[in-house]
Amino acid sequence: MDITRSLIALLFFPGGLFLLLLGLAYEWVHRKLIAQLQNRIGPRWFQPLADMLKLLSKEEIVPEGIHPLLFTSLPVVALAGALTAALYVPLVGLAPAYSFPGDLIVTVYLLSLLTLCLGLAGSNPLSRFSLVGATRTLTQLFSYEAPFLFALLGPAIVARSWQISEIMAYTQAQGQQSLLGWLVFTQPVGFLVALVGLMGKLELPPFDAPEAETEIVAGVLTEYSGRGLALFRLAKNVELVIGLTLIAAFYLGGFNSAPGATGGLQVLLFFAKTLLLLFLLAGLQALFARLRIDQTVGLWWRFGALLMLLQWFILIVWRGMVA
Amino acid sequence: MQSPNGKESQERFVIPIGPQHPALKEPGHFEFTVEGEIVVAASARLGYVHRGIEKATESRTWVQNLYLLERICGICSHIHATAYSLGVEQLAGVEAPPRAQAIRELVAELERIHSHLLWLGVAAHEAGFDTLFMYTWRDRETVMDLLKGLTGNRVNYSANILGGVKCDVDEAQASAIYRGLDFLERRARHYLDVVTSDAAFLERTRGIGVMTREQAETLGAVGPTARASGVPRDIRVEAPYAAYADFPVHLILDRAGDLEARFVVRVKEMFESFRVCRDILDRLPPGEISVRMPRRIKEGETISRVEAPRGELFYFIKSNGGESPERIKVRTPSLCNWASVLNTVVGHKLADVPMILVGIDPCFSCSDRMVVIRTGRGDPEVWTWEKLRRYGIEAHGHHT
Repeated sequence: MDITRSLIALLFFPGGLFLLLLGLAYEWVHRKLIAQLQNRIGPRWFQPLADMLKLLSKEEIVPEGIHPLLFTSLPVVALAGALTAALYVPLVGLAPAYSFPGDLIVTVYLLSLLTLCLGLAGSNPLSRFSLVGATRTLTQLFSYEAPFLFALLGPAIVARSWQISEIMAYTQAQGQQSLLGWLVFTQPVGFLVALVGLMGKLELPPFDAPEAETEIVAGVLTEYSGRGLALFRLAKNVELVIGLTLIAAFYLGGFNSAPGATGGLQVLLFFAKTLLLLFLLAGLQALFARLRIDQTVGLWWRFGALLMLLQWFILIVWRGMVA
Repeated sequence: MQSPNGKESQERFVIPIGPQHPALKEPGHFEFTVEGEIVVAASARLGYVHRGIEKATESRTWVQNLYLLERICGICSHIHATAYSLGVEQLAGVEAPPRAQAIRELVAELERIHSHLLWLGVAAHEAGFDTLFMYTWRDRETVMDLLKGLTGNRVNYSANILGGVKCDVDEAQASAIYRGLDFLERRARHYLDVVTSDAAFLERTRGIGVMTREQAETLGAVGPTARASGVPRDIRVEAPYAAYADFPVHLILDRAGDLEARFVVRVKEMFESFRVCRDILDRLPPGEISVRMPRRIKEGETISRVEAPRGELFYFIKSNGGESPERIKVRTPSLCNWASVLNTVVGHKLADVPMILVGIDPCFSCSDRMVVIRTGRGDPEVWTWEKLRRYGIEAHGHHT
């Protein structure tokens, strides 16, 4: 019985197939929002799926002078990492499929796997665009990763647990007391850094220097076509969903804010909160011009990291006073 | 890992941009030598869209050439036809009526608005600011519709004929243009606000690609690129042609010389265009819109200079008294501005390169005058003046 349940959780719901479709759906919402904000019409609802099928049916060209095994396996590893991370987060408002003390750290590292794979994938081919893209991807990783991790550990400190389900239980309890108990109001810096950090992770504008098309074509993905490109894109979609879920669970009072909420309401709250975050994300994305890679690094270390440290300091002092 | 470039990333290597590259709207090849992200050398190679138009004019009649030359540039088509018409009219000793000259200026200024809006969008896209790109191109539709209402075409307007213009402005068209200009002026004011106050955008434009006035003069920059460096150079003001003496424009200058100044100068020029368009419509001279032109043009040679949206456009026209020109030489503004890109780009980050490149509003097919096929991968061939001259004589088959 347990094995069947595990297999279903892994392959169909909430991980696996369902998550892939959810990722495609969120990609569509994201693209449509950006288009509307930019005075365009935007894609039809099945466009992300159509793109994916088209890419999967295309020939995958493996460039000369590279390690072919590395080239084909990196997208798979990236997607696998993202899908594994999904097992530890409260997707669709339901309890995580797996949970153990410290799973927050594991999840954050699994999410970074995509970026590491992109970095390796970019330094593998002989293409200069890929190489510059890889350098920028890894540089960017070092700038947003620490503040992003800090931003997710802020809730962990106040909840006194490094386990996602326990942190969520804490935020939900806070949210049920009053709306002001949402951590977005008590830890606004953490919320902002987490949201903007997610944009950096997904290389969305203004943090799209690693794939700035007007400079380096498509960055690390320049040499990818067909299946590899499709898998990298899927991995990014999955990360988008997971990232939004984590931020909503930690900062927007979880998915069980109303006392006596039922399962249906949880699902509804999940979509309402993650889509609200997606709207914020799209708004930020449409608002800014691309940052140069040195500006990105400067922004994160001069503001993001320092503000996060300041908030940590306040949290720890506050905890010491309360305790 | 098998990555021979891994070591090079610490040293110099060449980033090729083009001939096909998403940053380029037309084919051109640029090689930027970078150390890390810093550009230490730049070279350009043009000629991928050489079409042989100058040579083609010699086997067509004076009237046919009007339509051929209009197609040198897809954006500033009208100004090419105007430069040619004014030159040929001067050779023939004919002068187009004042109403025709005023309509020429009206179309030229609408074209300038269209061109500057297009550039604003492209430049914003290079900076990764796609929202501005989409909005400017939406507004550009307005001015294209106005041009279509006036001339019947959105791109190659064909407003000129030798001896005048082919389209008149009636009441309905005039009121449509007034309305369109009001809308565009509101939008342009907003864009001026955006390019001078959006903090994220200014990070990419302020102090980037600075060209001093001395540099601009030495490198022979023209048009808004030169005016953004404080060089007071505008043919409309210096040597008024068409109706610019009756409906003058003011020179727009900025001394900063950086990318922001190039944005500001172009947007401010749009305000000047809005004003002068209204001025023309307010007091459009009455009368005919064309006069008869002879089929054969008297022997002689002339130059015709006009201010295209990108800068000075220069035509040399030579007639031997026949139905076709003996020689037409076109020097487009983009050609004059290339040197400024290759000089200012050195020392900047790779990320700034596309913006500096686009900062001059380059038009590749305008620039291409000859093609040299590079056979080997050796050093670029150096063409001496003698060799180039001999090559020209052989290629053209005659020598005068």
